[in-house]
Amino acid sequence: MMEISISKPGILTTVQDSGRKNYLAQAVPLSGTLDGLSARIANMALGNHEDFATLEFTYAAAEFKAETDILIAYAGDGAFLVADGSKLPSERPVFIPAGMVIKLINNPEGATTYLAIAGGFNLPEVLESKSTYLLGNFGGLEGRNLKPGDRIFNSENISFLSQNIMKSLEGRQISWPSWYIPRPYFLPKNRKIIRIFPAEEFTWFNSDSIISFLSGDFSIGLNSNRMGIHISGDKIFRRKQDELLSTAVCPGTIQVTGDGEMILLMADCQTTGGYPRIGQVAAVDLPLCAQLKPNDSIRFTEISRDAAEILYIEREKELEKFKLAIESKF
Amino acid sequence: MSIPFPEQEFKIYALSEQAVTLVFENEINEKTASEISNFNRLLNNNPFKGFTSSVPAYTTLSIFYDLLSVISSDLPGENGFEKVSNYLKSLNSKNQEDVAEVPNRITLPVLYGAEFGPDLDEASNMTNLSVEEVIDLHTSVIYKVYVIGFVPGFAYLGGMDERLASPRKLTPRTSVPAGSVGIAGKQTGIYPLETPGGWQIIGQTPLKMFDANRIQPSLLKAGDEVKFQSIGLEEFNELSQ
Repeated sequence: MMEISISKPGILTTVQDSGRKNYLAQAVPLSGTLDGLSARIANMALGNHEDFATLEFTYAAAEFKAETDILIAYAGDGAFLVADGSKLPSERPVFIPAGMVIKLINNPEGATTYLAIAGGFNLPEVLESKSTYLLGNFGGLEGRNLKPGDRIFNSENISFLSQNIMKSLEGRQISWPSWYIPRPYFLPKNRKIIRIFPAEEFTWFNSDSIISFLSGDFSIGLNSNRMGIHISGDKIFRRKQDELLSTAVCPGTIQVTGDGEMILLMADCQTTGGYPRIGQVAAVDLPLCAQLKPNDSIRFTEISRDAAEILYIEREKELEKFKLAIESKF
Repeated sequence: MSIPFPEQEFKIYALSEQAVTLVFENEINEKTASEISNFNRLLNNNPFKGFTSSVPAYTTLSIFYDLLSVISSDLPGENGFEKVSNYLKSLNSKNQEDVAEVPNRITLPVLYGAEFGPDLDEASNMTNLSVEEVIDLHTSVIYKVYVIGFVPGFAYLGGMDERLASPRKLTPRTSVPAGSVGIAGKQTGIYPLETPGGWQIIGQTPLKMFDANRIQPSLLKAGDEVKFQSIGLEEFNELSQ
């Protein structure tokens, strides 16, 4: 059994897995990790199932303690993990002996960081997921943000692979292997260019606005959260003023509000929306969006829906290769 | 972006790499709502490999799927979008037999007015109807659930008597209690969770509209029929327990 206790939760720390896929028709949002790639890499590095629940930290300033020996992995750009005076490497398994305190310190690169534990965090499923949905007060740990004093355990059903990784590292000292899953390998060089394909109401906008959308610099608004990212820059105007009847939307959808502002929907977004949509972010670039901070400058570039689909399939194949490589090592 | 199907009743577009939306019509009406319900039932009874869920709305049905499962299926098509589109098209054309079902009808008890419906007097003023007339008109109709959206379990109901139409509040409330029954424009609906809200609140139901611990967490689903029934405080308290 492994246990951690939270001494400082930081700005926002919630339990998130791959989300709640089967209740969209009842307007239960998908929820789940904002940066699914980082969370999956953290899980894979431990021999966990990729969909296991992780802790999603927003920025740094959090701190937790290993109450027992633990095997953890982290990934993401919101923070570095530090224990016993040294920075722990990300994207690989790290063994930490009982009693050690782990701090999250600022990483200027991004916003969110995922912590996985061998076996996954042991919490009840609500509507087939462990993800926290704050507005509905359910999922995760009592449907809320973590707070000081919370104690969380791993599931004791840990895979043979996880057990073998544990055996290779356990001892009296912090230890980690030299291998890791290089997250940059899966990401484009420029992480501030977001690939989109045109959404259904793309042609409702006037040509100047479409040119601005695809060539201008936009910045990330302060009021961004797990539901959506506010994007400011040139206003987006419409040439067609039809009213859109509410219809399904999903993470990655870029809506344009009545005053010409864009909102990029994220994991906790409503299941339906009535604002016209200018673009859909390629699924492979949603992890980039999850790492954006207020005032970051971004650009959008257009690809085809087919290309977005191919990028997705290719990334899944690459992840599968790493998974098999780790399995074959142990 | 969209593939029109000349022989079919819908067009189809990609919502994401793992979702498509079928568009049945451009306006809200009973006929469209039942076409969507029927096709949704047909699809859920005959899912394709990789199908995860479907979301009905006013004039659309969105279908979510796992792309890798779709790609590995033997459905005809060059890519996931084509495979799913072709399947939906064939499902629509081959199934002409009547799949219509009698919709569920749910009666919702509502305590109108006072602190449970703080805007009932305002609604009565705006509509030039007496408070009794507002309640009579609101309880006399059978409503159709068009969409569950906004927050978990929030039902947008169509069919309200147009004499009850009232604008949203100029300043939304920061918190509306769960179960509040509201009017906005030509629509009426029930707040399932305590959330901010701008609708005119005329009453409250003691029933739990959403409960994450129920098998069907949302009391209502798209396609259901709803009738309101006026109740007194005693009955409200009994039903709240």
